[in-house]
Amino acid sequence: MAEALQDATVKLSLDGVTSGYGAIDVLRGVSLDIREGEIFALMGKNGMGKTTLLKTILGAIRASAGRIRYEGAEITGAEPRALIAAGIGYAPQDQPLFQDLSIRDNLRLALPGDAHLPSALERVYGHFPFLADRLAQKAGTLSGGEQKMLIIARALMTEPRLLLIDEISEGLQPTVIARIAEALREERRSRGTTILLVEQNLDFALGIADRWAVLKLGTIDDAGPAGADAHSRILRHLQI
Amino acid sequence: MTLILDILTTAAILFVIATGLLTIFGVLKIINFAHGAWLTIGAYCAVAVGQLGWSPWLAFPVAFVVGAVLGGLTERFIVRPLYARPLDAILATWGLGIVVGQLITLGFGRDVQFTAPLLPGTADILGTSYSIYRLFALGAAIVIGLGFSWLMEGTRLGLSARAVIMNEALAHVLGLDTRRIRWVTFMIGCGLAGLAGVLLTPLTSVDPNMGLAWLVGSFMLVMVAGQSFAALALACLLLGGAQVLVSTFLSPILGGITVAVLAAIILRISPKGFSRV
Amino acid sequence: MSDTTLDSAGPARPGPLWRLGALAIAAAAMMILAPLFLDRFTVNVLTRSMIFAILAVTVDLLWGFTGILTFGQAAFFGAGAYATAMVLTHMGSGPGLMALGLLLSILVPVALAAAVGWLTFYPGSSDFYATVISLVVPIVVTQLIYSGGTWTGSSSGLVGYFGLDLSLGGFFRLAGLCLVAVVFAALVFVRSDAGRVLTAIRNNETRCAYLGINTQAVKIALTTVLAGVTGIAGFLYANASGVVAPENTGFVFGTQLVVWTALGGRGTIIGPALGAVAIDYLSAQLSGQLPFLWQLVVGLMFVVMIIFMPNGLAALVTGWRRVRKGPAAAAPALVPIARRARGPASDAPLLQIERLEKAYGSHKVLEDITLTVRPGELVSLVGPNGAGKTTLMRCMTDGQAASGGTVRVNGESITGLVPNRIVARGIGRKFQVASVFESLTVAECLRMARAAHERPSFTRRRDTLALPQPAIEILRLTGLDRQLGAEVSLLSHGQKQSLELAMVVALEPALILLDEPTAGLTKAERTTIGTVLQTLTSELGLAAILVEHDLDFVRDISSRIVVLHQGRLVLDGTVEEVVNDDIVKRIYSGGDHG
Repeated sequence: MAEALQDATVKLSLDGVTSGYGAIDVLRGVSLDIREGEIFALMGKNGMGKTTLLKTILGAIRASAGRIRYEGAEITGAEPRALIAAGIGYAPQDQPLFQDLSIRDNLRLALPGDAHLPSALERVYGHFPFLADRLAQKAGTLSGGEQKMLIIARALMTEPRLLLIDEISEGLQPTVIARIAEALREERRSRGTTILLVEQNLDFALGIADRWAVLKLGTIDDAGPAGADAHSRILRHLQI
Repeated sequence: MTLILDILTTAAILFVIATGLLTIFGVLKIINFAHGAWLTIGAYCAVAVGQLGWSPWLAFPVAFVVGAVLGGLTERFIVRPLYARPLDAILATWGLGIVVGQLITLGFGRDVQFTAPLLPGTADILGTSYSIYRLFALGAAIVIGLGFSWLMEGTRLGLSARAVIMNEALAHVLGLDTRRIRWVTFMIGCGLAGLAGVLLTPLTSVDPNMGLAWLVGSFMLVMVAGQSFAALALACLLLGGAQVLVSTFLSPILGGITVAVLAAIILRISPKGFSRV
Repeated sequence: MSDTTLDSAGPARPGPLWRLGALAIAAAAMMILAPLFLDRFTVNVLTRSMIFAILAVTVDLLWGFTGILTFGQAAFFGAGAYATAMVLTHMGSGPGLMALGLLLSILVPVALAAAVGWLTFYPGSSDFYATVISLVVPIVVTQLIYSGGTWTGSSSGLVGYFGLDLSLGGFFRLAGLCLVAVVFAALVFVRSDAGRVLTAIRNNETRCAYLGINTQAVKIALTTVLAGVTGIAGFLYANASGVVAPENTGFVFGTQLVVWTALGGRGTIIGPALGAVAIDYLSAQLSGQLPFLWQLVVGLMFVVMIIFMPNGLAALVTGWRRVRKGPAAAAPALVPIARRARGPASDAPLLQIERLEKAYGSHKVLEDITLTVRPGELVSLVGPNGAGKTTLMRCMTDGQAASGGTVRVNGESITGLVPNRIVARGIGRKFQVASVFESLTVAECLRMARAAHERPSFTRRRDTLALPQPAIEILRLTGLDRQLGAEVSLLSHGQKQSLELAMVVALEPALILLDEPTAGLTKAERTTIGTVLQTLTSELGLAAILVEHDLDFVRDISSRIVVLHQGRLVLDGTVEEVVNDDIVKRIYSGGDHG
């Protein structure tokens, strides 16, 4: 009974998840609960398993142990296609765009068919109006910041209920980071979207997150709410 | 004038034959060595259509459908387990080619077959009389080329296929059904090979091993072209042209190896071939 | 299983070779006696089958062991056969001309193969390209024969010349003895230390190059020598059959050889030889009654085999043997070797990088990098993702990687040099993902690292393994010294990392480059690696450059830290200086934008 109650407020839960590449375990028994409607920042230095964690949730990498539950149902081992259909959105970090395809085609590929394309496009123009005027332009010709906004826009095309975002702030100007932060806040305010943010940028992450955790060598090293001491606690983990 | 027409029509025929192979290589990163066998299947579809007394034109849709259906089965049972072992995929499809050749032999005998000419006679082009059928082949190549670019550029399936070609990992995490895209692509590639087989029938004799002669040439063209259809057209024009010139002015036998030798040299100098075109 | 392990680790090292020799003598005796018991037809067919089996063995060495899928052996075979037949047809017969025929049947394919090998195997060439060329060569040779007029007999081939004056049984014995000799030589070779290089190349060619082995030269040499063997088979064929035809040179025949090799079991030598004999013999037997059905069955078997049993029928047998013998092969004894004499220990820089730049198109990954490393230093390279750390490592070991600036090793520029040449100048590189040879044993991996220093034997497996003391030290610390006979694929991830480090140290480099050596390791394993690195640098005077994400590890062991950010070197200082620097704090908290 108690468990069922808890499940109602937990959007995504990881229970002892171990995964990696081939024989190498990058994640070692990670347990984590993301609550309905919160923005959760997962921090950590390079190579600590943050991207692997997102890819494992999305089913792009198979977990070798542990269980993943989403909206109360077990999704361990499910394919990305099924999870996206179930309302998960993903903004990847490495090679995140089809550079030689137009902005329109990049956005179009997020949807399983073209039926809802116009309305979905209208929706993401609301966040990033510049996209509307440059639909035919190739994604590779956009500036770094514009490309990041396109990645977020694409993840929002399917109106996801859970958004996984991988180091979106990397290499960006503060003004662009602010725009992306605003878009994410707005998305949550209007639709109640739950957001799992993988980040190294402390200021950005703590600026919008409700809670945080630090991943170190494939395990959760520290976690807490976004309060007064969060900044200094996380910085200790990120620094040399 | 004849020379120019020869170059154009030879390039056109090469293009039609190699398109199916390139389609499959682009999306699946697999060389289908049964491609020659599918050309043969297409040609025998024309033979069968003739034996049934149907219109010879019906051979085109029949060959496409037969080629595609058999291709679908091949992808499911032979190619799919071998995506991680591309060299083994070459071998397995080669073995499949042997099987298909023998099955055709069992069904039709090993003798050379003949089909009714689709378009006999010659036409007058700027004072030169030239085979109507070869001109038709040129037209067919242009139609297939345009049809194919419409499929790739203008349809949802084409967009998905291009996405898989460019970045399969990304396509996968965006929820594209990469397995189905591969399957459909393999079917289309095989269907095109069947189509090309029909197109060949009036130009060459039909026998169970006829596809073999075309396999290596189209394989080399695809290697040079990389993953681009424009590059394939260019490669067909240049290498096919060279083949016609060598055959005409030196010796037809040396002409037969021109495409392969030139392709090998091009790849040695620039391993990416013409793919940046 | 323990008793059998003891047995195989016993002192009788020459045992297997003895047994092999005895088997070869028995097989040879059988070959001599067999014609007495077989009918004419069988003798005739088997003679041909055994010649083809020689070809299958060469295909197996190239494809099964070295990983070069080739359809081209038919071309070398045909060239040898035609060389013989042309001498005998156009110049007449006689002992002298027969000798000339034999000589040419070897030299022509060897020359052809040397040219093809040079064309095929160049730095950066792909396996695919080798396969492509192996298709082109037989087509070219066939077409040349077609266009040779009366010289080559064109499409009807050459027939009616006088070959060796032997009876049917005589040819059978000759072919049989040659096959036994080739199989025996091949088996001895692939079991020798030198033969294991082929498997190493198939497993991991990059690692071979970074152990200073010139893999392209090995492949060219192998192709050339095997073309000679193939040519001898061609000589036999031209004599035994009395006819040579263009089909003997074509790529269809070449693919048939691959089919036989696959069905027999690639990578086993005996499997392909038996496969070739069995299938060719059965083909001849059955082609009378069920000609097409038989081909169909062979084709089907081949497809099924490739998909479900890529190692062929022989895998069933060897798989069973492996279970019986247990996984641990006999391990050689470790012997320390004296430290290579270097010049007097000086403080001259080992590595000087000046204004290094690397760009992809207009996108600069590295810009204006200047860095000097001296003996005894342990330099850590840190920075966020995409800072260019791995690219910088690559520029230090591949002379063709950088797009501007210079890298000097011991004062000499490495611009344009391929990795194996740079390794020979004293740089060892450990990759991020453990780069070892999965199907070799631990001892064999280490021997590969010494291959550039002492030429491995072509006939024997040495029962000692001579390694520099520091490499032995690493093996002891990590327990690998007790697992020298274990196959690498059975090791844990951490053990593979340690093995790779030991291999790199066995090169006796002056400078070691390590890309995330602790990724995926446990705490204890990290500590071990850290200790080893500190010993190597502070006590033995090596220099090391380390890319590392684990900053605690970096802080513990480094003598210097270099910080890269967005392709630029932003800081170069002692651990103290870097840890307390504000820029670094900002980079790592995400606020800085260069």
